[in-house]
Amino acid sequence: MTDDPDKVWPTGLTLREAEEVHSYLIDGTRVFGAIAAIAHILVAVSTPWLG
Amino acid sequence: MLDYRAFALRTLSRVGPRYLPFADVATAEVPLGRLLRLSLFQVTVGMALVLLVGTLNRVMIVELAVPASLVAGMLALPLVFAPFRTLIGYKSDTHVSALGLRRVPYIWKGTMYQFGGFAIMPFALLVLSGYGEAVDAPRWIGLVSAALAFLLVGAGVHMVQTVGLALATDLVDEEDQPKVVGLMYVMLLFGMVGSALLFGTLLENYTPGRLIRVIQGAAVATVALNLFALWKQEARDRVRAQAMLTARAPAFGAALEQLMRGPGTIRLLVVIGLGTFGFGMADVLLEPYGGQALGFTVAQTTKLTALFAGGTLAGFGIASRVLGRGAPPLPLGRLGAAIGIPGFLAIVLSSGLGQPGLFLAGTFATGLGAGLFGHATLTATMRAAPAGQIGLALGSWGAVQATCAGIGMALAGIVRDGLVAMPALSGYGAAAPYNVVFMTEAAFLVLAIAVAVPLGRFAGHKDAAGHRDLAGRDNRKNPVEVA
Repeated sequence: MTDDPDKVWPTGLTLREAEEVHSYLIDGTRVFGAIAAIAHILVAVSTPWLG
Repeated sequence: MLDYRAFALRTLSRVGPRYLPFADVATAEVPLGRLLRLSLFQVTVGMALVLLVGTLNRVMIVELAVPASLVAGMLALPLVFAPFRTLIGYKSDTHVSALGLRRVPYIWKGTMYQFGGFAIMPFALLVLSGYGEAVDAPRWIGLVSAALAFLLVGAGVHMVQTVGLALATDLVDEEDQPKVVGLMYVMLLFGMVGSALLFGTLLENYTPGRLIRVIQGAAVATVALNLFALWKQEARDRVRAQAMLTARAPAFGAALEQLMRGPGTIRLLVVIGLGTFGFGMADVLLEPYGGQALGFTVAQTTKLTALFAGGTLAGFGIASRVLGRGAPPLPLGRLGAAIGIPGFLAIVLSSGLGQPGLFLAGTFATGLGAGLFGHATLTATMRAAPAGQIGLALGSWGAVQATCAGIGMALAGIVRDGLVAMPALSGYGAAAPYNVVFMTEAAFLVLAIAVAVPLGRFAGHKDAAGHRDLAGRDNRKNPVEVA
């Protein structure tokens, strides 16, 4: 609750903790993005919607 | 600004922890409801197994007209990953996290891979089978993407199951472990039976659109169930996080060697491998055997699977109860294998004597034996797991179990397909080749019992001395004591 230079406002997590939580978000975005890209390419191969 | 800040902090501190996916404190007593929720990850594992081995097997061969050898190759891919379970378990044991988490990050990663595999799988299969414009596409696109989809699902299943079981072992005390093992197995069985029925009904009238919807539905269900299972299971722990920073983990090879040096560890793994292989082939072969050798109708043979599963459930129940009272698991495991042997003999004899009743009794006995054996050996693995190496110990259990069960099921499938295709293979009648397989299984169970006999000594010694008990309990309070 008190101001601690090591803690990130407003969650009360330390910097390292906050970075770790953030890394899960980044990883998840990457994995889901890659999956979506592959799925789109495969759909385009079987039922092309462009050209 | 300052007011707003104070207000925000107050509000967050009041409602915040309730909406976080981590528990705030590690509770000493884990209520049954929470364990029930955790065991939901086994439902998704069962769902993935059924989809791979059962449903997609049929869909790829019958509806998509993919060559059977290619299908078999694709479905074997996830098996290749099974030995990596030891590595996954080790990684989760030695994971360094600022939040003090060890298991949850890996279960989440596994869930993402499982989801990803299912998300691209239907399209990969359609491209592989040359659906629509894909006829003109280069062949490798379909092959590579289908292989990727199966690999992702396989890797995800291995990760989720290994680390999930390790988390369950972390959470409960030794006397509650049989209860948890029972719960895990029942959920796996429930997931397999339930999804087999569901997928069967949904894909009865096959269309490509329906295939996409069913498989992607499975993907969404996987993420939803696993998230629900994980929620607030592992505690956020700053003390443990500090310890993780300074702990020096042994190398994987050294850790594995240390685990294998434990009394009876390798022997127990061999027993698990032999027994799992012996029981693993039965499931697939019972239905065609009932149909061909004893002239059961299709509706009757479907009930055989239910009878087998009922026996297995009974086995889990008995094992949970008996082991929960503090009985040593190994004699019970031996008993399970020993019940399986007359079960298989009864099945073999039933066709010669023309006794369907004997066959039903044998089916139930085999299921009962499989349930007792599976439960007892997993409980034994959990109990023997050294506190700092729970993930590694369950990883090696999973590596052996998944490999042997997979090979057993695959072999049984090959045998079945061969027999169904040419029933007049031998002059000894339709039952003879099946009987050879059933006798082989019984022989494997005899081997398992023979290997297991000296194990009782180690277990007895450990129970009598009781020092593992003490060490285990102390270490569990502070799990980062990597030597």
